[in-house]
Amino acid sequence: MRYLLISLCLLMVGCSSYPKKNNFEAIETNHLTSLNPYFSNPDLDYIYKAQISIKENNFGGILIIKKINMQEHRVVFTTEIGNKIFDFSYIGNEFKVNSILADMDKKILINLLKKDFKVLIEENPQIENSYTANGYSIIQADIYKNNHYYFFKENSLEKVVKTKNGKENTSFIFSAIDTNIAKNIQILHNKIKLEITLRKI
Amino acid sequence: MKLKQVISTFLLFLFVAIGFGQEVELSQQESEELRTNIKLQSESKNTIKSEFVQLKHLDFLSNDIESSGMLYYKSPNSIKWEYQKPFKYSATFLGDKLYINDAGKKSDLDLSSNKAFKSLNSLVVRSVKGDLFDATEFEITYFKTAQNYSVHFVPKDKKLHAFISEFVIGFSKTTFDVISVKMFENTEDYTLLIFKNQEFNNPISDAVFTN
Repeated sequence: MRYLLISLCLLMVGCSSYPKKNNFEAIETNHLTSLNPYFSNPDLDYIYKAQISIKENNFGGILIIKKINMQEHRVVFTTEIGNKIFDFSYIGNEFKVNSILADMDKKILINLLKKDFKVLIEENPQIENSYTANGYSIIQADIYKNNHYYFFKENSLEKVVKTKNGKENTSFIFSAIDTNIAKNIQILHNKIKLEITLRKI
Repeated sequence: MKLKQVISTFLLFLFVAIGFGQEVELSQQESEELRTNIKLQSESKNTIKSEFVQLKHLDFLSNDIESSGMLYYKSPNSIKWEYQKPFKYSATFLGDKLYINDAGKKSDLDLSSNKAFKSLNSLVVRSVKGDLFDATEFEITYFKTAQNYSVHFVPKDKKLHAFISEFVIGFSKTTFDVISVKMFENTEDYTLLIFKNQEFNNPISDAVFTN
């Protein structure tokens, strides 16, 4: 019985919420502007040199993101030489694969890319809670039914952390920020050895 | 006919005339002569060193994505694309292997198992040399403009057609050298390579092709 209680306690600590584990202090939500401005200007073509490393393998390409209109983003990945690897559209809440290389046409991979790029382009996710911690103001929002924590310093979005079961799952780190453009972006997955590095060109 | 209809019919004819005015299809005899001249030029090339500018056109973008660098080719099948701007990146095709240097991060890929990639690379090599004239592989049509010749190659193989629906290769009217390669992915999106300051048959060290 004692062991059962201890293990239950451990389980509860293990499953405690991400804000609790990280000593976030709850505050009243007071965020009026969009959470993520980095791909929000329809007049701009957002072009990034991408390096992707999966386990020991590295490969590169060009990531192209364009806000087509208020409802739609296009996300295209090509090789440096110009061949399209995949081409996605996000229209409102819909997601469409316009094309993908046969070798990459796998549901699990498409799902992972869909979720990662959704975080990059989503400007106004559903806000759930607000916190402060370590000089950051933090907003908890919902994307595809997962908690995402937006970390702001001086009104500038520096990091988004996606959590699963109270643990960090994926981090999106924005740096070298210049008037609503993040020149460097890193997407780090914790569970799988996947890292995507984007550098604005 | 109402005035509106007359004007729109006139405009339609005007646009068709302008459209066709840019490229004039060659006669069968002219096509054969051009093919012979290009083949002679292509076969004489053992090395090519050239600057290139690449424009990636995607219909939904406001501007084309421009990059530039150097191309090195050495007979029979060594080719290196060295991008210098706006990023440092090189892809070296050497026999059955592809060597990549992505801003210092090096990797290689065995292409012997990847037929699609291999045939695509062989096509790029052949298009740079101007040696795509195989009627069993392509529907080929020949045109001239005021400045150049332009040859359209439509792949007959369905798998290749899914990658590239058409190659349009520009040849100099005076030297018959390849001056541009335009690869259409579909009717709207393409990659255009423009070659400048080309040097032919000057020795190129093997060290150029080491990663």
